[in-house]
Amino acid sequence: MSKKSVLIVDDSLTVRQQVSLTLASAGYQIVEASDGREGVDALRTHAEVAMVLCDLNMPRMNGIEFLETIRGDATGLPVPVVMLTTDGSPELIARAKRAGAKGWIVKPFQADLLVAAVRRIVGDPG
Amino acid sequence: MPGDSNQARLAEILYQCTFELLTELGARPERNAGVRQPPPTGESIAAFSGFCNSELRGSFTLEGPSKLFARLHPIPPTMTPRDLTDWACEMVNQSVGRFRNRLLAYGVSLVTSLPQSALGEKMLLSSSLRPSPTPISFAIDKMVLDGWLELEIQAGFRLVENPSDQAGAALTEGSIVIF
Repeated sequence: MSKKSVLIVDDSLTVRQQVSLTLASAGYQIVEASDGREGVDALRTHAEVAMVLCDLNMPRMNGIEFLETIRGDATGLPVPVVMLTTDGSPELIARAKRAGAKGWIVKPFQADLLVAAVRRIVGDPG
Repeated sequence: MPGDSNQARLAEILYQCTFELLTELGARPERNAGVRQPPPTGESIAAFSGFCNSELRGSFTLEGPSKLFARLHPIPPTMTPRDLTDWACEMVNQSVGRFRNRLLAYGVSLVTSLPQSALGEKMLLSSSLRPSPTPISFAIDKMVLDGWLELEIQAGFRLVENPSDQAGAALTEGSIVIF
């Protein structure tokens, strides 16, 4: 059986590398996208994605727009999305929750806590 | 002048945010209060992010030698120019992000821009804004990380004396909330 995949949507190469290294070392497979539009495409082409970690402030399509787009699309409807951003605004967190987000992480993240959060949402990597 | 006081206090909050970030990255930053350094020799990187609301707008720029950004990079083996300029963007993004989060407790809500960066030699920052930018400079491992805070503050804006710890304050960095 293949391992569970996590899609990372972030315009920062450094953050994608950090998250990839952290989750790959915990046994998860990684799919990367550099903005919301690429994230939507990745969800449509990678049916194995079990969860999304998504930045908020990105070019072309931001994290909230990404959420709203995939929640209106049968492909992305059931996939849990956790926002990964520098923003800790309660107002934005509430907005993301209303748009269907599963959680919120304020960067910079702690590796062990990120793995624990992913494991809590999708279970062991398989 | 009240505007000067606002600018000085906002600069101090941003200084603390950047200091915290650098410390979490494993550096031992020290306040570099000296006169602005001449352009460093060798390759430098500058990264900036803008922010605004209806009462103030500005930007924060971080500039220093490439090797300093490499020293602070969280994944040390990656040292390509693309890695370093991307990392410089993320550093200024996280610094301004903390600033934005801290200001929520003062009742100030900011929108931030996407960060941008540039790499070059003998880089010299200049500003068309008056008053001049506030320097926020750090000494790290015998290198200098220069920061510039540019602000335009509307008349009548006043930063409250004390932050509130009531509802409205932001989640702190590293927080994880699962709904």
